[in-house]
Amino acid sequence: MAQVAAAPLTQNVLRDGLILPRTPDPAAMVIFGASGDLTARKLMPALYNLALNRYLPSGFSVIGVADTALSEDEFRAHMEQAVQKFSRSQPVDRAVWQSLAEGISFVRMPFDDEEGYGRLAAELERLDRERGTAGNRVFYLATAPQFFSVIIDRLGASGIAKAGEGWKRVVIEKPFGNDLKSAQALNQAIHTVFTEQQIYRIDHYLGKETVQNVLVFRFANGIFEPIWNRRYVDHIQITVAEDIGIERRGKYYETAGALRDIFQNHLMQLLSIAAMEAPPNFDADSVRDEKVKVLKSIHPIDVANDVVRGQYGPGWVGGQQVPGYRQELNVAPTSNTETFVAVRLKIDNWRWADTPFYLRTGKRLPSRASEIAIQFKNPPHLPFAKTAVQELTPNVLVMRIQPHEGASLKIAAKIPGPVMRLRTVNMDFFYGSSFMVESPDAYERLVLDCLLGDATLFAREDEVERAWSLVDRIEAGWASEPPPAFPNYAAGTWGPPEADALIEHDGRRWRRP
Amino acid sequence: MSNDHTELSTRSFVDVHAIQDELDQVRWGLHADGEGSEAAEHAAAEARASVCNLITVVGNEPELGAVTSVLDRLSVTNPSRTLILLAQHTREADKLEAEVSAQERTESGHRVSTERVILHAHGEPARHLASLAAPLLIPDLPVILWWPGRPQFDNPLFDDLCELADRLVVDTDEGFDDADLARLLQVARRQKAQASIGDLNWARLMAWRHVAAQFFDMPGMLARLAHIRGVSIFHGHDGSTAQARLLGGWMRSRLATVGIDVPLEFRLDDSIEHGVCRFLIYAGGDEGPARFSMSRHRGGRLSTQIRLGDQDLAERTVRLESRATEELLGIELTLPGHDMLFEQALAAALQ
Repeated sequence: MAQVAAAPLTQNVLRDGLILPRTPDPAAMVIFGASGDLTARKLMPALYNLALNRYLPSGFSVIGVADTALSEDEFRAHMEQAVQKFSRSQPVDRAVWQSLAEGISFVRMPFDDEEGYGRLAAELERLDRERGTAGNRVFYLATAPQFFSVIIDRLGASGIAKAGEGWKRVVIEKPFGNDLKSAQALNQAIHTVFTEQQIYRIDHYLGKETVQNVLVFRFANGIFEPIWNRRYVDHIQITVAEDIGIERRGKYYETAGALRDIFQNHLMQLLSIAAMEAPPNFDADSVRDEKVKVLKSIHPIDVANDVVRGQYGPGWVGGQQVPGYRQELNVAPTSNTETFVAVRLKIDNWRWADTPFYLRTGKRLPSRASEIAIQFKNPPHLPFAKTAVQELTPNVLVMRIQPHEGASLKIAAKIPGPVMRLRTVNMDFFYGSSFMVESPDAYERLVLDCLLGDATLFAREDEVERAWSLVDRIEAGWASEPPPAFPNYAAGTWGPPEADALIEHDGRRWRRP
Repeated sequence: MSNDHTELSTRSFVDVHAIQDELDQVRWGLHADGEGSEAAEHAAAEARASVCNLITVVGNEPELGAVTSVLDRLSVTNPSRTLILLAQHTREADKLEAEVSAQERTESGHRVSTERVILHAHGEPARHLASLAAPLLIPDLPVILWWPGRPQFDNPLFDDLCELADRLVVDTDEGFDDADLARLLQVARRQKAQASIGDLNWARLMAWRHVAAQFFDMPGMLARLAHIRGVSIFHGHDGSTAQARLLGGWMRSRLATVGIDVPLEFRLDDSIEHGVCRFLIYAGGDEGPARFSMSRHRGGRLSTQIRLGDQDLAERTVRLESRATEELLGIELTLPGHDMLFEQALAAALQ
């Protein structure tokens, strides 16, 4: 006969030694925009892979919400096709899919339809009753941004956002606003229904293994932090370069441009994690506090002198002739939307005072590359006076995010031989060589984190607003001047000549990533 | 994914210094092209990723072939220096030979390079191969001793290599009986034991453990964990019980930490040949009877179900990975230090 534990258990002793500290609570995920591209390409494949790998709890359920004429069976079939097409794990395991699909339902309604929210509430109650979701809800707003406010408003007004027991969380896709004012208004609208702790603003870049690796590189290796400062670092270059154009996103891109599409989110995230202090722990607020401190410390930008914008014209990329931006689909032939931005900024704190950060992003550049490059200062004295030291270039530590994730260190080495000849060599390390394993998609990580209530890799209100205020300042500066003569760089080149002048003025050069 | 595998060189030696020289050459490409040569210049610039030294022991040529194939595949994810000891101490004439080779593999444009030394010994040298292995290791990297099959616990080579190693990896699914499990536990608990123990069979149980733990993560289920009154484990009929014993040992040892002594029942399932196929946990207490069940199905799946009283809650189907040996080994290579949970499970399995 088994003995019974003397006292009630406070922890699950069977979980000791397992990688995940716990399984998410059973929950219902309500996906608004369920018939859209994001749900098909990213969300449903992510959920399938989480289910496949045992990360989802029993009873986990999904309610798709869209104003699309689909029956429940048709919606499930549509989702199954999406998983077949976009899941990273192939072939799709039919039994696992079936097990997940049993918890998938569909509510057809316009996002502003009050009656529809009544049906949604009834469906959520059914799931609580039949699948044990216990009032735990994730509201995933995978819609166009103009629907964010109305969905939040209706979730509040219908009582769904607060009903009963269990936790409620809301996930908002980017773009979160299109300037500081709209971001603040959106934050305000969401806060009338949800507290900041309930809000998960997605920037999928942070879900990438490679970006998280930058944090590990910096804070799990004791040798780098002592030299990660103004005393040893000459400057830092952060590049997010794309060789593709705007694909079929002309309509969106015309209103966004490179500044909103990449600079406000991805580049700001890379800047934050490259420049932040070590957080005391990896809790959501500890990490985000440090990131926000970096954004707060950015010296006011002199737009006329510190920012360059560009737009690509026709050219050649990867051996293919490509059209200019103004010739792309859904782009005005006289468009002044920027497809390239380069910014010089400084961070006013003890670690980085007077150390310039050069950031650039652009479309139709010669290659795809995301990286953070730390260029160190030259040695104070070179004892090899009569050698060819002028050939030496400074030490550069590069953290590559994509492609070929890894790190490289440029160092000086002696060329073997009887005379002292030096040359610069690269020591390259590919993470892939050590961990040649498949990485989970960013959405898998982020959806799981949200279900577990861990907001570390999501943007906080102040973080988003700080980034927008920087963008607004740049926009205001641009608005006060006539636009440059676009296009000002050919597709397949590294941006306009003014971008080179920006950095060369300081006696430095852009890296070729 | 492109996969280009190149054998860079293979040469034979009998002297440890000659082996070391050859290893340096294949590791850094220091072939005798002359000072200042292009090759020498590049040598100074090259960074090599290596994650460990891996020593493995085999008893005959067919085993050597099988082990070599596993290590070839393992090298894709774990570039290592590999020493394969073909130790045949029962063969009379003393013999010692070494073969050094280097492999280069390209996966999706990334190059992975590994070196391998095969030490082949007969007679007395076969008992002292550890003395030859030690100087051939890459400094500062962990040493993993993978012993396929049942270890020769009484062979001095086993002890010598365990002393050299940071981790001993075995597979208790390869015919380990109770006596073998007991000897393994002794090794794990040996005073000043530096080598921690890894078991590929334990790694295979990860999915079962994960899913069992998840039952009690569910709201309201934790209380039932304190009222577990029995566990039934069904396993295949091929006579191999180590996996079922370990799973039972794990359950018993975890519950022992909160003062529960749970009875284990092991049952044969005639429909399955090998391994654990069903795992049932029974609970009682004030909340009423509950049964938590996990069943293995064809196609690498595990279905789970909870029955509370006479009510069945939502069923779930998840993946039960059937991992190849190199994958399981790869997992073992990432685990640091002693796995106390495994050692406790092993001890409880032997009670």
